[in-house]
Amino acid sequence: MAAILDVPKTRINCSMLSQHINKPVCFVGRVEKVHPTGKTFTLSDGEGKIATVELNDPLEEEMSGVVEVIGMVSNKGGIMATTYNMLREEKGISRDLELYNEALKVVHDFPQHYPFEVASSG
Amino acid sequence: MVGGYTQSPGGFASPAMSQGGEKKGRTRATQIIPCTVSQLMSASQAEEAFRVGDVEVAQVTIVGVIRSTDKSMTNIQYKVDDMTGAPMDVKQWLDTEDPSVDSNVLSPGTYVKVSGNLRSFQNHRSVVAFSVRPLEDMNEITSHMLEVVQAHMVLSKPQTTLGVTGGMSSKVVPISKPGGMGGSYAGANDMANNGLSANQNQVLSLIRSCPEPQGISLQDLKQRLSGISLVIIKQAVEFLSNEGHIFSTIDEDHYKSTDNDD
Repeated sequence: MAAILDVPKTRINCSMLSQHINKPVCFVGRVEKVHPTGKTFTLSDGEGKIATVELNDPLEEEMSGVVEVIGMVSNKGGIMATTYNMLREEKGISRDLELYNEALKVVHDFPQHYPFEVASSG
Repeated sequence: MVGGYTQSPGGFASPAMSQGGEKKGRTRATQIIPCTVSQLMSASQAEEAFRVGDVEVAQVTIVGVIRSTDKSMTNIQYKVDDMTGAPMDVKQWLDTEDPSVDSNVLSPGTYVKVSGNLRSFQNHRSVVAFSVRPLEDMNEITSHMLEVVQAHMVLSKPQTTLGVTGGMSSKVVPISKPGGMGGSYAGANDMANNGLSANQNQVLSLIRSCPEPQGISLQDLKQRLSGISLVIIKQAVEFLSNEGHIFSTIDEDHYKSTDNDD
């Protein structure tokens, strides 16, 4: 599990899932539904599209609000999550997902200014 | 040299001129630049200075989540991960005599904004932080991503006129405005040597051309520059104001140009 934390994890939204199959990604979305077993749940991204997330271990806590999931994209277009991070909505300031979605587009438009891989240093 | 406080033009001119001279050529190493961990890791090093592409970096800010912490008597070492690469080592010195300094170790899983200096020791990169602040508004993550792109884009602008560098400007043009405004770039090209981007130049020339004493308001700028979003205009205004090209007048929404010869 630790290995995935040491590699670049591209930030993506639902429409970019298909381009990152079998690659480590970071997906930020709002929790929609949690499966009764606690092993899968769905997230909606800034564009309103839904992605399915599968966990190795079932959820032990209530999951709600905006979460950040890190994992690999499966062939079916879902995310096999290795870890997640709940972004607490402190002081009532919630994460603006539409804005984050716009930022994602900008970041992907300018990979030279926001690299997701470590080039060999000169 | 009687009366040391008289404003001798010679004395004032030289520091101003050397500042102007430095601004034209290269980026100053006195800026604090938002970066990603991957940029810091892959930055090239020339003696004391680091470069990310064309941009010279010394003081940086990164935003990421704490993966691990290691506290010792004199410092705290964090590993901060911003998704662009392996977690970056961040060292924060503790001032043991100063009780006001935050000596509470932030826990893993916390998103933080780190401000500090990039250091390289035996080929190992790390950041020596003078500030590690937990984020209160998660939109700061979004904002930092955008600031990274914007800062590096602006600072990497080649000094040649915009028209010549087809490679760079072809990326900027579709985003900033429709193709019909291409004609006005001819005028902007003359001013492009000051190191400003197309948007900033447009904003600046509009501000310059305003004859009113209270300056031009952000609303007016937005109306006249219909191709540019208010966010970009505000960014341009902030940049121009920091560089000293404009200043605010009656309130934070009104600006006038500092070199108003019109």
